[in-house]
Amino acid sequence: MPLLLLALAGGAVYIPTVMYFGMSPTNTDVGYAPKQPVPYSHALHAGQLGLDCRYCHTTVEKAAFAAVPPTQTCMNCHTNIKTESPLLAPIRDSQQTGKSVPWKKIHDLPDYAYFNHSIHVNKGVGCVTCHGRVDKMEVVRQVQPLSMGWCLECHRAPEKNLRPRDKVTDMTWTPAEMNTTQEVLGPELKKAYNVHNATYMTSCYTCHR
Amino acid sequence: MTGPDRDIFPIPSPGRFRHEFLLRKPPFWLASLVVIVFLGAFIPLALIARSRATTSEKPRVHLMMDMANQPRYSTQQPSTVFADGRAMRAPVPGTVARGMLADNDHYDRGFELVKAGEGEWQISYFNGLPANVKLDSRMLTRGQTVFNIYCSACHGRDGYGHGAVNERALEKQEPKWVPAANLHTDEIRSRVDGHIYNTIRNGIRTMPGYGSQIDVKDRWAVVAYVRALQRSQNATLDDVPSDQRDKIK
Repeated sequence: MPLLLLALAGGAVYIPTVMYFGMSPTNTDVGYAPKQPVPYSHALHAGQLGLDCRYCHTTVEKAAFAAVPPTQTCMNCHTNIKTESPLLAPIRDSQQTGKSVPWKKIHDLPDYAYFNHSIHVNKGVGCVTCHGRVDKMEVVRQVQPLSMGWCLECHRAPEKNLRPRDKVTDMTWTPAEMNTTQEVLGPELKKAYNVHNATYMTSCYTCHR
Repeated sequence: MTGPDRDIFPIPSPGRFRHEFLLRKPPFWLASLVVIVFLGAFIPLALIARSRATTSEKPRVHLMMDMANQPRYSTQQPSTVFADGRAMRAPVPGTVARGMLADNDHYDRGFELVKAGEGEWQISYFNGLPANVKLDSRMLTRGQTVFNIYCSACHGRDGYGHGAVNERALEKQEPKWVPAANLHTDEIRSRVDGHIYNTIRNGIRTMPGYGSQIDVKDRWAVVAYVRALQRSQNATLDDVPSDQRDKIK
């Protein structure tokens, strides 16, 4: 009898614990790093060569969606560089046939969440804040849970993650570069960029339209 | 020891201790079951810890979908409906979307076709910025941003043609690579604005066109910035405001 009670109590703690940690997006979504049709290395292109994120993801400043670049963007350079590389065969095929390269989407929000890249980028939220050090990734992986709780953490206190607009794509920027701290700079930028107040930022309608 | 104390603090004899505090020995099957369940309970926890520490190529699994994937197309999604496999559709041939007519030769193309003879047309580049483009510091700053995103990869931030992509291609001795142009040569400096604009939009020789990546307004901002860059590399003392000349003499 006491043994049975002990087992029930143990189960009552154990099952929710496993559900909580097992089903949270931190467990199911973070670390998703699918194999892409071409082993494109952000570490080389964005890191070593220092290409700006917007060279390829051109729409990020103006549209809700940060576009995956068309084949033509690859061919801007690869018409003349590594023209025989077997790894780039899918890109050359795509250019000849006009069919899209089936890149796999890594960061995928639920369809009922409205998310707009341009507003975040234009209000000074850096790429690195949500996507991590992409400039160091050979294979891109998801580093943040992209869960509602995670979104709200920032929507409740955006000043903790704001940076000057012209540093948005800078992967290594820190407030120390400007001889200031995030505690000082954040609220200033929040005011300068007219970031909405917490009531608006955490209202249901802001993200669920 | 005598008196009431003996009843309040009984000193247990070894026999009594054994009788009161030891449980009955459980049967073997029950003991093994408890051990197995207890150890087995760590397996899911270990798997969770592992999945948190590693990456996975497999698609995400969500036990509760809650309409996260609705039967509609999002931007750039594939589709089985259309022959080209895309959900996004190009404009119907022969149609022009509102505001996309591009009927201003100077603004949209940077050149016009001039009749050079019977049935012959010649390209004539416009000089100067179009009338609807306003040159101010904000536009120049935008030009600098756009130049540093797209152009600096090959031409370098200073325009001398030492961008990172160019340097790597030369280092790897890519046989088809043509070194990026130095924007401060007399030849390029003497080109009119419309020519620079057309080069950004449609490319020139081995340089690809950037018309699909840079929109019309930003292209003119880049033209203005290239002009500023060129002037900065060929500046004389006369370009410095008179009250500041003494500082740099």
